[in-house]
Amino acid sequence: MAVAAPSRERARIEALERAWLERPGALGWLTTVDHKRIGLLYFWTTLVFFAAGGIEALLMRTQLAQSGERVIGPETYDQLMTMHGVTMIFFFIIPMTTGAFGNYLVPLMIGARDMAFPRLNALSYWLFLGAGIFMYSSFLVHQAPNAGWFDYVPLALRRYDGGANVDFYALGLIFNTVSSTIGALNLIVTIFKLRAPGMSWNRMPLFCFAMLAASLSLIFALPALTADCIFLELQRKLGFHFFDQAHGGDPLLWQHLFWIFGHPEVYIIVLPAFGIATSIIPTFARHRMVAFPLVAMAELLVAFIGFGVWAHHMFATGIATTTLVFFAAASMLVVIPSTIQIYAWLMTVNVGTPQFRAPLMFIGGFILFFVIGGLSGIMFAAIPFDQATTDTYFVVAHFHFIIFGAAVFPLLGGIYYWFPKVTGRMYDERLAQLSFWLTFVGTGLTFFPMHIVGLLGMTRRIYTYDHGLGWDAYNLVETIGGFVLAAGLLLIGINIVLSYRRGVPSGRDPFHGGTLEWTTTSPPPHYNFAVIPTVSSPYPNWDEADREEDLRKLARGELVLADGHETPETTVNDGAISAVAEMPPESPWPVLAAGTVTAAFFLLLTSHYATAGMAFALMLLTLVGWNLHEPEEGVG
Amino acid sequence: MTAATLPVRHARAKGWWGMAVFVATEATLFGTLVGTYIYLRFHNTHWPPARLPKPPVLTPSLLTAALVATSIPMFVASRAVGAGRREVAWRALTVAFAVQVFYLVWQLHDYVDAIHRYPPQESAWASVYVTLLGAAHAHVLVGVLLNAWFLVRIWSRLTRYRAVGVQATAFYWHAVNVITLVVLVVQLSPHL
Amino acid sequence: MTPRLRQAWILLGLGTLLAGCGGNQNTVAPASHPERSVADVFWVMLGVSCVGFGVIVTLLFLGWARRDRPSLPGGGGERAATRVVIGLGVALPIVLLVSLFIWSDLFVLRSVAAPTGRTPMTVRVTGHQWWWEVRYPGSGVVTANEIHIPVETKVTALVTTDDVIHSFWVPELNRKVDMIPGVTNRLLLLADKPGVFRGQCAEFCGLQHAHMSVEVIAEPRPMFDAWLARNAKPAPRTNALFTRNCSGCHQIRGTSAKADVGPDLTHFASRRSIAALTLPNTPANLRDWLRDPQHVKPGNRMPDLPLKQPQWVALQRYLESLR
Repeated sequence: MAVAAPSRERARIEALERAWLERPGALGWLTTVDHKRIGLLYFWTTLVFFAAGGIEALLMRTQLAQSGERVIGPETYDQLMTMHGVTMIFFFIIPMTTGAFGNYLVPLMIGARDMAFPRLNALSYWLFLGAGIFMYSSFLVHQAPNAGWFDYVPLALRRYDGGANVDFYALGLIFNTVSSTIGALNLIVTIFKLRAPGMSWNRMPLFCFAMLAASLSLIFALPALTADCIFLELQRKLGFHFFDQAHGGDPLLWQHLFWIFGHPEVYIIVLPAFGIATSIIPTFARHRMVAFPLVAMAELLVAFIGFGVWAHHMFATGIATTTLVFFAAASMLVVIPSTIQIYAWLMTVNVGTPQFRAPLMFIGGFILFFVIGGLSGIMFAAIPFDQATTDTYFVVAHFHFIIFGAAVFPLLGGIYYWFPKVTGRMYDERLAQLSFWLTFVGTGLTFFPMHIVGLLGMTRRIYTYDHGLGWDAYNLVETIGGFVLAAGLLLIGINIVLSYRRGVPSGRDPFHGGTLEWTTTSPPPHYNFAVIPTVSSPYPNWDEADREEDLRKLARGELVLADGHETPETTVNDGAISAVAEMPPESPWPVLAAGTVTAAFFLLLTSHYATAGMAFALMLLTLVGWNLHEPEEGVG
Repeated sequence: MTAATLPVRHARAKGWWGMAVFVATEATLFGTLVGTYIYLRFHNTHWPPARLPKPPVLTPSLLTAALVATSIPMFVASRAVGAGRREVAWRALTVAFAVQVFYLVWQLHDYVDAIHRYPPQESAWASVYVTLLGAAHAHVLVGVLLNAWFLVRIWSRLTRYRAVGVQATAFYWHAVNVITLVVLVVQLSPHL
Repeated sequence: MTPRLRQAWILLGLGTLLAGCGGNQNTVAPASHPERSVADVFWVMLGVSCVGFGVIVTLLFLGWARRDRPSLPGGGGERAATRVVIGLGVALPIVLLVSLFIWSDLFVLRSVAAPTGRTPMTVRVTGHQWWWEVRYPGSGVVTANEIHIPVETKVTALVTTDDVIHSFWVPELNRKVDMIPGVTNRLLLLADKPGVFRGQCAEFCGLQHAHMSVEVIAEPRPMFDAWLARNAKPAPRTNALFTRNCSGCHQIRGTSAKADVGPDLTHFASRRSIAALTLPNTPANLRDWLRDPQHVKPGNRMPDLPLKQPQWVALQRYLESLR
């Protein structure tokens, strides 16, 4: 009997490997529908955009290091500062958190074999790549977007910005929005329907709550931006009137719609970072998260309340006092879910026995920077103070502490944390800790002086400034800090590359984390889990009895689902199995569809509307090809 | 336990949920368009501009009523595919498709007229009006294409994949019908 | 002009000339009541923030220092920890935030609100790409990039724009207010003491947003009245060279040059700066500006003119005579 059991298990595993195998080589990457490969594609692509945005920042900082510098002129500077914002927000942080981390980790954490819609997943990546290429091709013609990342009108109208710059901006964002919407849709349905048996809402990892909150926010926030950009292009290209008061429009319409998207956007940016923090802390503190239900609700609540605060970006526009006061109150309310989380994290660290290895150090840095950024944010809820310091470097400091300190630091910690899972090798701990300190000091040096120089009256988006205003020394320090920060980030990259080549094999579970990704091999096989795990707590990898039962299930052939390309669908609330879904195999249609859409957007940019229509029709044909290939019906 | 013997609970397929999330996005988009109409209304003393004739009432209302009524055959089709009854589903889809095509062709013809009567290059009201109607008709067109696709697909065979597709399309149509009603109210609001 | 006034004027002129293009833009060095209220709010918020940050740092430090002990200081476990989360994470923030809200957004906001009724003086400021048009209703005075006000007098600034959105901000006197096409916003200018207060456009408005600064000069009432009277006068003479080359964009009251594309230059020589504080108004700088405005302020609306050396000299002499 002991001899027969292993060969039965071997046969099942081989059946799974056959069912889930993808083509080798470059063609395999072009047609992949595996969420892990798509996650990696997102990861590398967003890193390239991160580098681009970083170079844009360093160029700006070089120009601003001293007063009266003439390294970079106003035209180039305006394109750099606009593209820095656009790149970092739309082409780095959102695709990195939702596309790379979300795609790779969510199915693993919920015990599924892939995302709900694998081909749609691939499409979201190829559309993202197309949108990024579209947006960056603007540099080739020296007409990159130049009206700031929030592109206020009337400055962005044809009369004041007659080149293609703003058209690249508006069309590029609409293009990218489609990708983000599809990605968010996929994450939501995956989290709703593909959770492992037994994973009711109260047993779902906090990382997934964060991804769910961010994805729901994307769904409800992006349409405002899409509509705004459509209005802008209709006005610029076809002479419609939305934003000029001479014909019944209103310039503030742009601002309202932009910020109705823009404020939830900042929570979309930071929520996945919260999710990473709530993954790393319990693991390294070796204790479950204190006040888990409060933290889960806080993550959803911050997204929800975040929809009601947008006009705090418009406090200086002269809107009515009642409006000012309402939005200030809502802006203060949204603080509470964040303070709940901060204290929950700190209490977990205190109640547990933390090991301060690199991932946890990055979370420590994150907490400090998040609190600084949060405190300056609260200051902006004092309306008179906001009206004094908005549009100065004080607000630049605030949002960089949040976006860099609070959103990127967890990403860096998360890269180290999940590096062993993705590659099967350990990173170098000493180099990692050094890279933390360099990045931490660099971040502080770059962004803290901005508070001071903003209070001293330095406005934002200026390509140079006068001597004698007291700003010089601070700007020099910030520039030096920027290069220190870049060095720290470079060190992280070096660590990753070296460890990939020469790192010690890490094994399945080097940190004894609590969530399901640690139960499978490093790296995971294409099918993620040989047996679909059954879950009875939020920390399934700490439930040894359940995991031993999984091994016995493999022997019995229970929940292996090796008859095809299968994963179970479960009910939304309780995680009880409702169906077995047959997943599609690899497919060329997503990359082809994305190609036609990219062509269509270039044609719209150059005002070839009829040809653009033909490109869209071609896209419909690719969708036909796509849907002709139905996943094969499995048993049941 | 194999897939065939798993204890399963009745629940909606993931494809239906995907459509639900997509509908949420599109509904929000229309909310933004309608919100824009309302916002600009409060920034103008004459909305629409005084010299423009008010939009027609009868034709859009009758056409919209016909379109909304197609929710019934779409519902029938959705139920039928769930029960595996291919011919019933196909016939219901055909009925819906015929009315929807009729609606779309007539509305597109009137839309071209509307652009001439209310040039968007002359006022914000016309710009919003034309954009809102254009978006609505575009969504109807997408629904018509979806119906056409499934008419072809379930003519030969009904698989689970296609059945879920028909149910998702039915959901899409219910949403589009609600949105069309809302757009109609906005379209006719100068008369209120 | 009385001898005493003339002395004061010379002193002010010398002083400001030595200082170059005037004061600072320090938000927390207030020179007016509205800005003082803002600064007070800031200092209190900063103090409370430092305490709050200290608590966080302490907790993080404790987590590290007591990392071998699986309990809170005082022995509490998860239940106690949850109570701390609710106490420090919910209850305390609510108390602090409500207090801040009531103080700054109800009381302070009301006390610094722009005047709705009449004030002793009004000045109309219109933003342009990349300069400020300044008008004193009722006096006929039109100038640019420089606003004179009498000290300790409430002045309502009515601000709007002729093109894109700008923002009027003089940090030591008050908060900023956006200049939006089709809308007139109001801001109170009230200086406690005489001085030169520097301001800058605070909403990105295009290529030369960086060089769109303004000065508010608060002076004793008699000096202000003298300034106003002098600036209301038209220019004593015209100049053919100017009319031929510059009147397409600039106005000089009392001559046939009447365009309003660029700043009014009627009393250009009495102003402290050129091109919205891009350069101090000195002969050398004026020469540089006239000959190559695109080098000084790239992208601004003033073209490089194809004049010859004697023509440049004559033009400059004319402008320097417009005191």
